[in-house]
Amino acid sequence: FRYTRNLVDNGNGKFNLMILCWGEGHGSSIHDHTDSHCFMKILQGNLKETLFEWPEKKGNGEMTRKSERVLRENQCAYINDSIGLHRVENISHTETAVSLHLYSPPFNTCNTFDQRTGHKHKVTMTFYSQFGERTVCVSTRRGAPR
Amino acid sequence: LPAGLSQWFPALEVLDVSGTGLTEMGTELLSLPCLHTLLAKNNRLGGPGSLPKELGQAPLARSLRVLNLSGNRFSEVPPALLQLRGLRSLSLGGNRLHGIPPDIQELHSLEFLYLGGNFITAIPPELAKLPSLRYLVLCDNKIQSIPPQLAQLHSLRSLSLHNNLLTYLPREILNLVHLEELSLRGNPLVVRFVRDLTYNPPSLQELAGRTVKTRNVPYTPSDLPESLVRYLSLASNCPNPKCGGVYFDSCVRQIKFVDFCGKYRLPLMHYLCSPECSSPYSSASQSSTSQSESDSEDEASVAAHRMQKVLLG
Repeated sequence: FRYTRNLVDNGNGKFNLMILCWGEGHGSSIHDHTDSHCFMKILQGNLKETLFEWPEKKGNGEMTRKSERVLRENQCAYINDSIGLHRVENISHTETAVSLHLYSPPFNTCNTFDQRTGHKHKVTMTFYSQFGERTVCVSTRRGAPR
Repeated sequence: LPAGLSQWFPALEVLDVSGTGLTEMGTELLSLPCLHTLLAKNNRLGGPGSLPKELGQAPLARSLRVLNLSGNRFSEVPPALLQLRGLRSLSLGGNRLHGIPPDIQELHSLEFLYLGGNFITAIPPELAKLPSLRYLVLCDNKIQSIPPQLAQLHSLRSLSLHNNLLTYLPREILNLVHLEELSLRGNPLVVRFVRDLTYNPPSLQELAGRTVKTRNVPYTPSDLPESLVRYLSLASNCPNPKCGGVYFDSCVRQIKFVDFCGKYRLPLMHYLCSPECSSPYSSASQSSTSQSESDSEDEASVAAHRMQKVLLG
């Protein structure tokens, strides 16, 4: 019971276009974007985006929040690793949210960060569905925030 | 709700009156025999007459499966709601609840319970008596501790606890075998090893009781006053599997950290019979961090197997 990533188009290997469906209270972890461009558009509901600074090399303290905003329906956002890291959440307890994401070049691994310590952890991202077909998850390792 | 609803639509199965400004849903509901889904989110429900009192006797009590009352003004779970025996999914997200009634255990078919975004400060242990509960959402509340009994929720697959006031978790949480998702971000979880939190030295009665129990000193009810016989029957076993000790009232609360997949360290609360009681892994080393890590090794590997997606975030 967490948000789902649904691949719509893989643009001949040049980009990934996917739709994310967020239930009430669902949020991602803090993550980077593996040197890719990341565009996001809200199709339904609202999503809160919190930007974080990259942690210090051997950081061992709470991560620094840069800014936060609530993105409304039809609003767009952009991020890449030089801008920083972010967490995206549906903070509503009554409404679901849907967002459209474009990543170029496509990537299937990223780093997630523990807000309390700045420690990072590489994760592989999985799809709930691809081109309308449910993707059965084979791996039993921890899956992906985004 | 309009009068005569059940006369016009006797076969009604799904009713969505969300966002209509309703302040109460009255007796019109009681005669809808086929209703299985009722969505009434984002209204002005919460006052005394919000749900009809006779709900328990209506056909609705057996037929209703899904009830969504999120985004209303409930300051307590309406007692009438607890009579909905067939309910599988309940959402009271974004209301003004300060607590969860112990009678929540009456909803014994409940699989999905969403209580995020309220002002809940504590969780009653009776919540653990829901045998089919698979998804429990308690995020964005004011919860300070989780009762260890919650580990009895054997069907639990997803537990959302983010944005609360938790400093530690009960170690029994590791017993949730089917738990796949756990969110804990936004809690003031203790990050450093904390030595014995509080320890009241045991009374003479406690010390004597411990000796009677651990050395199996024989006694019969005629040997002792009834109050002492009762006292001796309340001995708790020290949860440390390597220690055969017992305790009555005086126990040590100690926080130990458990690693998940070598990545996240969760502070878990252990109860031990005395400050000297610890697993044989800990040596005479005075280093607090090494003690916590070595003691946690065995638990960590077990936990890593069971918990697949820990979303500390």
